[in-house]
Amino acid sequence: MHEFLAQLMNGISLGGIYALVAIGYTMVYGIVELINFAHGDVYTLGSFFALAVFGALGVSGELHGPALAIDAGLALLVAAVCCGLIGTLLERVAYRRLRGAPRLAPLITAIGFSFVLENAMQAWKGSAPLPFPAVFPNPTFHIGALDATAQQAFVVGLAIVAMFVLQTFVERTRTGRAMRAVAQDRQAASLMGIDVDRTIAITFLIAGLLAGTAGFVSGVYYQSTWFLNGFAAGLKAFTAAVLGGIGNLAGAMLGGFLIGIVESFATWKIGGQWSNVTVFAILILVLVFRPSGLLGETVSEKV
Amino acid sequence: MIYLYAFGTVAAIVAAARFASPRITRILVIGGTLALLAAPWIVRNDASLNAMVDIALYVVLALGLNVTVGYAGLLDLGYAAFFAIGAYTYGLLASPQFDLHLPFWALLPLAAGLAALFGLLLGTPTLRLRGDYLAIVTLGFGLIVPQVLQNLTKYTGGPNGVSALDIPSFFGRSFGTGATAYYFVTLAAVVGVIAIVTNARDSRLGRAWMAIREDELAAAHMGVNTTGAKLAAFALGAAIAGLAGVVFAAKLSLVSPDLFGFQVSVLILSMLVLGGMGNVAGVVVGAIVLGLVNGTILPQIDGIVNGVLHTSVDLTNYNFFIYGAILVLLMLFRPEGLLPNRERRAELRAAAPTEGPA
Amino acid sequence: MRWFRPSASLAAIVLCLGLTACAGGSGDGKTIKIGIDLPLSGADASVGRSTLNGMLLAIGHAAASKNALPGGFTIEPMQLDDAVQGVHSPQQGVANVRTFVADPSVLAVLGPYNSNVAAAEIPITNEAGLAQISPSTVSDGLTIGPDAAKLRRANPTQNAFFRVCTTDARQGAAGAAFALKLGLKNAYIIDDNETYGLDLANVFERDYQEKGGVVLGHDHIAKDTQDFKSLLTKIAAKKPDVVFYGGTTSTGAGLIRQQMFDVGMGGVAFMGGDGIPDLATVAGARANGTFYTVAAPNAEKLPSAGAFVKAYEAAYHEPVGPYSANAYAAAQVAIAAIARAIAENGNKLPTRAQVLGAVAKTRDLSTPIGKIGFDANGDVTEPVLSLYAIKDGKSIFVDQIDVKAK
Repeated sequence: MHEFLAQLMNGISLGGIYALVAIGYTMVYGIVELINFAHGDVYTLGSFFALAVFGALGVSGELHGPALAIDAGLALLVAAVCCGLIGTLLERVAYRRLRGAPRLAPLITAIGFSFVLENAMQAWKGSAPLPFPAVFPNPTFHIGALDATAQQAFVVGLAIVAMFVLQTFVERTRTGRAMRAVAQDRQAASLMGIDVDRTIAITFLIAGLLAGTAGFVSGVYYQSTWFLNGFAAGLKAFTAAVLGGIGNLAGAMLGGFLIGIVESFATWKIGGQWSNVTVFAILILVLVFRPSGLLGETVSEKV
Repeated sequence: MIYLYAFGTVAAIVAAARFASPRITRILVIGGTLALLAAPWIVRNDASLNAMVDIALYVVLALGLNVTVGYAGLLDLGYAAFFAIGAYTYGLLASPQFDLHLPFWALLPLAAGLAALFGLLLGTPTLRLRGDYLAIVTLGFGLIVPQVLQNLTKYTGGPNGVSALDIPSFFGRSFGTGATAYYFVTLAAVVGVIAIVTNARDSRLGRAWMAIREDELAAAHMGVNTTGAKLAAFALGAAIAGLAGVVFAAKLSLVSPDLFGFQVSVLILSMLVLGGMGNVAGVVVGAIVLGLVNGTILPQIDGIVNGVLHTSVDLTNYNFFIYGAILVLLMLFRPEGLLPNRERRAELRAAAPTEGPA
Repeated sequence: MRWFRPSASLAAIVLCLGLTACAGGSGDGKTIKIGIDLPLSGADASVGRSTLNGMLLAIGHAAASKNALPGGFTIEPMQLDDAVQGVHSPQQGVANVRTFVADPSVLAVLGPYNSNVAAAEIPITNEAGLAQISPSTVSDGLTIGPDAAKLRRANPTQNAFFRVCTTDARQGAAGAAFALKLGLKNAYIIDDNETYGLDLANVFERDYQEKGGVVLGHDHIAKDTQDFKSLLTKIAAKKPDVVFYGGTTSTGAGLIRQQMFDVGMGGVAFMGGDGIPDLATVAGARANGTFYTVAAPNAEKLPSAGAFVKAYEAAYHEPVGPYSANAYAAAQVAIAAIARAIAENGNKLPTRAQVLGAVAKTRDLSTPIGKIGFDANGDVTEPVLSLYAIKDGKSIFVDQIDVKAK
């Protein structure tokens, strides 16, 4: 039982990171039907930006009190904003021009950008895995039989807060309504006076912000980063988005946590070398038996 | 020399496609065939010939994927998995691994059949999905297959794979370690596969594919058996990959899981995109150009550029960057590929009314 | 967009054609090339580039010293990337080695980095009689036993493949002996499921059990894994004395060591082979408590090792990679053999066979990884393996053992 809860906590924390990345996939897919392959690399970029901020501030170890709040807050902010801008930039220079092209064109472009971003990170900080300062104190809490670390609480808490803010934004604000309208019918939305280009740009901005946040979180949680982390993490986050029902924010969140838990349990019970196989097998099974995902409504092919 | 050949083939195909005069085409085909048949004696360099075999194998793979993606419009992101199935068929059944030494020629059809079978197994439940989901299912499959091959160490040799595979022979004459015999085999494979796919394209099935690609719903209403046609495309594409896998494994005399990763699927797909999907000539051009870029130009780019400019820039560091940039720029400026087929081009241009002025 | 026609792309191809034509025009008969085949882009670049740097440093040193080669010959590196789209590829390795074979000025080949690339390349260099020296391919079957014999089938009596690293068999055995000597009686084994790591972990497991150690479990991990907390939570519950890792810093050792602290295993020893001396570059202070083996006598007594590290860091402004020193040694072997072959050939350009003969006769060559000589299989004759501990980023010599080539 003790170990079960510990593994559950491991899975939920890992899932929190997937969830933050998955939201970006699901939002972008929901609005422009693009599997944004470069999104996983934007996530990794987040940890690189955070690392650069810590480097500039001279942070190399644990922080406490106001220093923790200011330095870590700054790193988080810079990572999120820079990633948001990069996501928007990709949309502006490439995806927007390909909006009328067949689906394959933007997808291949995204794969191309994924390579470009990976190489840019490699050129920036080298091709070896990088240490990330352990800025957060990491005491362990005991709640009954459950052991959780402060970092785990931070990861999960941040993911849930981000989710609530986003959900509120999409449901309550004008821009959020515009996003939903464009996702449903771009042409009709445009006729209703919605600035489609701006709305899509904002979607990419938000996706990037969340990916940057996730990048920061992963750096803090694993105390390391690597320029190629985004490939596998991105695919799993995408799996999470599909599992939850693509286009559905709450679904992406749920999917993220579930994939995290599945991966943890697969490592625990089946063996680490089978964890990826398990995750992707689930992906296939979900798509075959419930292609709309857990929370998605049934959508027929748009014709 | 290899550049000359690549350039010559591409030029011939482009010329034939552009002038579209039967006489010029005939001259080009005859001349090209003679030049290609004479290649081992003209090139006389095993390294170049070997690179040409690699490129010809890419042509076969690209032609196979073109059936699935280009003809039927089914996006397959895990094509390397079928290639792996073919290669491991040879790797396990013609090697010391189980001490089975089945002949190369028998394994060609067996591997093609096996790959097609896997294609059917994967395709039957998934082909009713919408296009992007199919892409993801195939992507997942493409990641699972090499990982499983790596994990089942007892049977597949695990990460080491299987090495020292049997050297094929032709009526008792061994292929040897040079590239010449493999050159003729792959050349024959290219010709055979072109014949198969063009025949399929021009058949009833091919018209069904095109109908599905352009409007699946309408096709279904017109009485096209869409599921059957899609399955056929998927299986034929897989079978061609399986065939290529056998030749590949025999020539390399080694199979290992890292030969069949996602990057291979993306590479083949990029060839289609570069050359022009749906068009045999375009796909061949795309495969030749990218095969040359990947196998010869990028590994040697340091020497080439620094030799000309007398600099000492370390460009291998940026291989990935160069590659990604090629994909992005191509998609932005010529999404229909270098040599698109006419219908496809019309579809693309018609579908892109918002495109900015040229 | 009109301008972008097939003609434009053809022009690009013509340009490439012209470029290579120009590039291929150097050859004064006094330049000897050493082919280098390594993964230099993408995921494998993390180890490939630092390995390349080690080789280039040795070639640079040889060029700088006037009398490195007799007869006025100069050595030029010719490096080719064996990664296709960022992943090492035996297919590309073969293509590269065939390129070396086809270039008559190439007299020796350095590389590859990966064992399965080597398995595909050995038949080619064997047939051509071109000496090939690898810094890092440790899989036993490349040089020993029936597997190696099959790789040499074109030329069964001749061996052209050498390696300056030790084999998994020796290193795993030494690791097991050291672990028990340190009083670590319960081990949990993890490997990265790659050729080097899996073989090393398997040999360790076998030898450790034979010598009386208890193996609590053996897990493999998947490529690109970032999260090891589940695996380590499971391992923590079994309370091992030591976690043995088969693999390199970049395939997981760094992350695993770091995350051991997150699941309360910071006090448990961590051990591995010669793939993890640079562990502190990822794990930082958490690398303390790590042990690793290296196939050489105590490096502190080797002035060449310290000098190498200084020269490397001065030249590349980055820490030494896991195989940089091996790479330097491999290049030294090639350069020294070419020099001897030239001298034996009356200061004229030697043949490949002469260079190959000279490489095989390498004895007591001083390198940053100790004195190097080869046995008939092409393996180093050095029977001494050392154990190091990592303390505050520095490697401290602990113990050494004589395994006597088995």
